[in-house]
Amino acid sequence: MSTALRLIEVDDAPEAVLEAFVAREWCDGLPIVPPTEDRVQAMLGDADPERTLGAMPPLWRMATLEALAVNAVMAGCRPEYFPVIVAAVDAMQDPAFNLYGVQATTHPVAPLVIVHGAYGRRIGLHSGSGCFGPGFRANATIGRALRLILMNVGGAWPGRHDMATQGSPAKFSYCIAENEEASPWGPLRDGDTVTVYGGEGPHNVNDHASTTASGILSTVSHTAATLGSNVGWYFAQSQLLIVLGPEHARTIAADGLTRADVQRFVYEHARLPLATLKLGGMWGMHDWPAWMMALRDDEARPPQVPSPDDVLVVVAGGAGKHSSVVPNTCFSRAVSRSLRAGA
Amino acid sequence: MGTAAGLIATTAFQGLAVHQLSARGVAGLPLLVIEHPLGGERPESVARRAQQAVEQLASLLGPA
Repeated sequence: MSTALRLIEVDDAPEAVLEAFVAREWCDGLPIVPPTEDRVQAMLGDADPERTLGAMPPLWRMATLEALAVNAVMAGCRPEYFPVIVAAVDAMQDPAFNLYGVQATTHPVAPLVIVHGAYGRRIGLHSGSGCFGPGFRANATIGRALRLILMNVGGAWPGRHDMATQGSPAKFSYCIAENEEASPWGPLRDGDTVTVYGGEGPHNVNDHASTTASGILSTVSHTAATLGSNVGWYFAQSQLLIVLGPEHARTIAADGLTRADVQRFVYEHARLPLATLKLGGMWGMHDWPAWMMALRDDEARPPQVPSPDDVLVVVAGGAGKHSSVVPNTCFSRAVSRSLRAGA
Repeated sequence: MGTAAGLIATTAFQGLAVHQLSARGVAGLPLLVIEHPLGGERPESVARRAQQAVEQLASLLGPA
């Protein structure tokens, strides 16, 4: 173990370990696996413990692989999950992701980790029924490890440096795999790749009635355009993530629509009239391009995101007529990293 | 001399602002603290906060 990390001695009882970590504000309040030297070494494998992914905000402490491994052990990860964690942290450290903003904002944003490719399936990442929920170790512990890293390495403690007004259950753990086998359009990203997306928790899209792409995408678009959303107010970095359930995706594809068509449809329809936007939200402090600031017709419907490419579309979930919309925080853009960049 | 610079924060974010000044190696930079919140306020409260900021700025700059 490097000299950068310190060893503590705690009674060898689960309750004592939990008490010690809670007292030091080193965990999320749930029981942890004690990060002993042997376990941390096993998590690292052949990875260089001193390698750093840079200073992590908001306290700008060094994200060494050893520090990441400590938190991965605590979260309950298996060593084969570690490359996903390293790639996700590397992606979050990209300036385009604006991790300082994501960590410190009052908005209830959490980095959603989406894993693409065969490696995710091999380590048991779940992409089917209930993928946003409990029951799957890889999803639960990879997401939890990233939260512990954001708190323990980054220093984002609620109410102190993480200034989220209410926070979100997505801040405990937020990790899914893309259901590529059920996707009519293939994966969002090629190869073994991780995408991090600074989003709210998933907003449900219930559509049991529509039998056409137009119907389902109208319901998706309606869910995506709400006055209380962050999306659209700071226009340049606004994005929407559409997570289609496999049944909705099949209906849309059966009408001949490609992923690009879905993006274009949502871009064109997930909009509110100017008269509605003037009712509240962030009206008056919005940051729009000149052509949108010049709009005067109350019936005008400005776009929420800069282009159709800013509507990301993946397929995940199992049986049923539900999908979800994940609005972003409007000052962070999705970033992807190959797992080859990992440990 | 360079350009005079400082950081402005509301009371609720004072702790975060102090840590950022320190973490960025500019702990000595002037910090202007105004009443929280900033958003959703009526014009008279915004004017009060502006007055708070101006008074602190004048104090930090010293006599002309």
